[in-house]
Amino acid sequence: MVNPFHTSFFAVFRTEVLLNLRRVAPYVMALLCGGNALLWWGWGPAKGRGLATNSEAFIAGVLPIYAFMTLPLFTAVIMADPVIRDFRAEIGPLIFSKPVGRAIYLLGKFFGSFFVLACGQAAFVVTLFVLQWFSRPGVTTLQEVKVVPYFKHFLVFVIISHLVLAAFYFAVGTLSRNAKIVYALGVCFYPLIISYNIFFLNGLPLSWRRILDPLLMRWAQKDGDVHTLSAEAFNQLVVTYDSELIINRAVMLLIAAGILTMVYRRFIIAEPPQKIHFSFINLSTASERISFEPEINWIEPDHEVRRTPLPIVNVAAPGIRGSLRKLVAALAIEFRLLLSERSLVVIIPLAVVLSTMEVIFWRVRGDGSYSAAYVSHIAQNLVLFMIGISIFYVGEALQRDRDLNIEPLVWSQPIPNFVLLFSKFLATLLVVFALLISVGLIAMVTQALKGNGPFELTAYLRVYIWILIPNAIFLSAAAMFLKVLLRDRYLTYIAAIGIGGGLFYLYSQGHNGWLYNPLLFRLWKYEDLLSGNNLSQIAQHRAYVLVIALVLVALAHLFYERRSTLWVRS
Amino acid sequence: MLAIEGLNKTYQSGVHALRDICLEVPAGMFGLLGPNGAGKTTLMKILATLLEPDSGAVRMCDTDLISEKHRARMMLGYLPQDFGFYPSLTAEQTLHYFARLKGVHKRKERNSLVNALLERVNLESARRQKVGGFSGGMRQRLGIAQALIGKPALLIVDEPTAGLDPEERARFHNLLAETFAEESVVLLSTHIVSDVSNLCSNMAIIRQGKIIASCAPSHALKELTDSVWEATLTREQIDAVKSGCKLLSSQMYNGMMRVRVVSPRERPGEEFTQVTPTIEDYYFNLVSHS
Repeated sequence: MVNPFHTSFFAVFRTEVLLNLRRVAPYVMALLCGGNALLWWGWGPAKGRGLATNSEAFIAGVLPIYAFMTLPLFTAVIMADPVIRDFRAEIGPLIFSKPVGRAIYLLGKFFGSFFVLACGQAAFVVTLFVLQWFSRPGVTTLQEVKVVPYFKHFLVFVIISHLVLAAFYFAVGTLSRNAKIVYALGVCFYPLIISYNIFFLNGLPLSWRRILDPLLMRWAQKDGDVHTLSAEAFNQLVVTYDSELIINRAVMLLIAAGILTMVYRRFIIAEPPQKIHFSFINLSTASERISFEPEINWIEPDHEVRRTPLPIVNVAAPGIRGSLRKLVAALAIEFRLLLSERSLVVIIPLAVVLSTMEVIFWRVRGDGSYSAAYVSHIAQNLVLFMIGISIFYVGEALQRDRDLNIEPLVWSQPIPNFVLLFSKFLATLLVVFALLISVGLIAMVTQALKGNGPFELTAYLRVYIWILIPNAIFLSAAAMFLKVLLRDRYLTYIAAIGIGGGLFYLYSQGHNGWLYNPLLFRLWKYEDLLSGNNLSQIAQHRAYVLVIALVLVALAHLFYERRSTLWVRS
Repeated sequence: MLAIEGLNKTYQSGVHALRDICLEVPAGMFGLLGPNGAGKTTLMKILATLLEPDSGAVRMCDTDLISEKHRARMMLGYLPQDFGFYPSLTAEQTLHYFARLKGVHKRKERNSLVNALLERVNLESARRQKVGGFSGGMRQRLGIAQALIGKPALLIVDEPTAGLDPEERARFHNLLAETFAEESVVLLSTHIVSDVSNLCSNMAIIRQGKIIASCAPSHALKELTDSVWEATLTREQIDAVKSGCKLLSSQMYNGMMRVRVVSPRERPGEEFTQVTPTIEDYYFNLVSHS
């Protein structure tokens, strides 16, 4: 009998798992999923109502919502490019010159990536499972430790739903060889699924709605509102799968299998053919064809070098003015390179959607001023994204030159170190500012559309100037310092998460002093920004934070690996 | 002239990469020849201000390249052995970027410089192509184009032809020969002997971090005149030859071994015919000596 671990399928599967483990996305996803579970457990709807967080009804009720929130985006990110990556690295021909069939290759790629995706998603149930042994005021836990319901319901409610979605994204990425299309589909997931529900499912009888709902959001509808049950009854509920749910899951598995079969049939090993350019119809005798092959750009094999004289150019002398012009040049390139980062296509829209969701979908209470309430909401929601984007993209910008091996070319140019460092720092800052402006504009438009007047621009400006912009500067400076000091991007991410997590834990325990809270997290209210003593305190704090940012930038400059002057010789 | 005095470098791993390197490099094309791991790239990196030596000095036109890094970079053009470009930029954008970093700020001047460079390296037709899609030869030509920005007084070219096909290599040789200015120093580091023999008016041989010879290629060939012999022998015959004279190289040919030996005074055997020495013979002779 063939050892399954010695098959071609397992070789492709294993390699795909290892490749995915070297990406950041699975770890970020696992971290977010674990954090999400923690929030559901300690701060969710069960708290204070006697509903046990390890009861079967709670687990089965939470999982469809969990499957719906943010996970589809990660599914798109992880399933978009398993095959594209091989073709981009030009390793495809090497693989296909071995006795590996298309089916084995595609299935190995698909299940390798899906396995990593599922492991990341499982962080949610694993965290909930572990939390059975912890207690918190207001959180009820049944004495009897549950094991099977967590994993059984996770498999049924999350894994099968995402298997269909993963197959779909994998198919689009593999057949189009363009990951950006998949990311765009990931971003469009919510409008599409909401439209599908409103315009299609809502018109069907209940049983059909339940059968054709891919994420099982309507599964509990038939049994009435479980929230009206007493806590005791809720905690004793045993969840069973009815025939409609089983049919739903079977249909989803069939759809996934159908999609994968289609990928197998349409997948070609060769590069997709070039786009055909149609000719214009004119009176030329040569226009009998309706299409032509694009001209191949041959470079003539002539060994003669043309004696093109190089013009004499003025090279700027060293000085501040010349260095500033070099900084502008480097900044323009850095910004362009940041914009071409594929992850930005997902992260910025996600950040915009999640930061503005609250003001768009919920009623905003404007006790004093609606504008103040709107901008305060988005400022709170933006904190996490500002931290994430600053750390991640500063790390990427500082690492990029090394990854692309362009460092020796750039470092041998007559440019001061501050040009190299500041261009990356400012480019990241511009991306964060772009996020802040987009979110601010959406909040303003939402306020106008909801008729929550009067509109006060000064309220937005106050929060942006006093809170958000200094925070963005500080975060980028701190991320740059960490990256320069630790030299390794992943070490930087780990250190940043550790420091950030530790500080937020301290704040949540009540140790929230302005001295060690550079983002003023939970230390300001809009009223503080108006005038008086509180404003002067906030102004002092902001000056303090900007000075720290300046010191961090100076230290980053000092510890930067590239030397401009004679360094200590050993 | 580039003057290197007592340069030493030991890496943290304990590898002694350079041992008391002393070299005078006159204007023109200078070849630094040595096997892989000889210390060529370490020396090039130090000259390109990317690596700090443990001791020693490097001077060029009254500038200390070790301590006055910014001034050194002003006069430097560098094409490293391994390098990359931003794949999402076009050839034109890449050259504009490096020209701006070099200090060519006037747009009109920069445009004419970039156009001339692209023409010089035969990349005008690919000027708007993204660099990510370039072949090895095209990348190498774009690399030399960026190194030529600002008319560098010191052009360092580290293993430029490694991995290129014969046609690209010939093209690159011509390009290098045409581009260096009379007054500038071009330092070509390579392990390919023909690169040096085709291009350089002076050369040095480096081995295990030490300079073991420094002379003009013509002088090197003169040293071996009437001393190099070639024959096609069986394996058994080779052992007998080895005991009588110094074997330079051997190569399998139709089941026999084609060997070259050095024998300054007499013909090593009846099978041998005298041949014109090459730089390769000089190199092998020297390496086996050291």
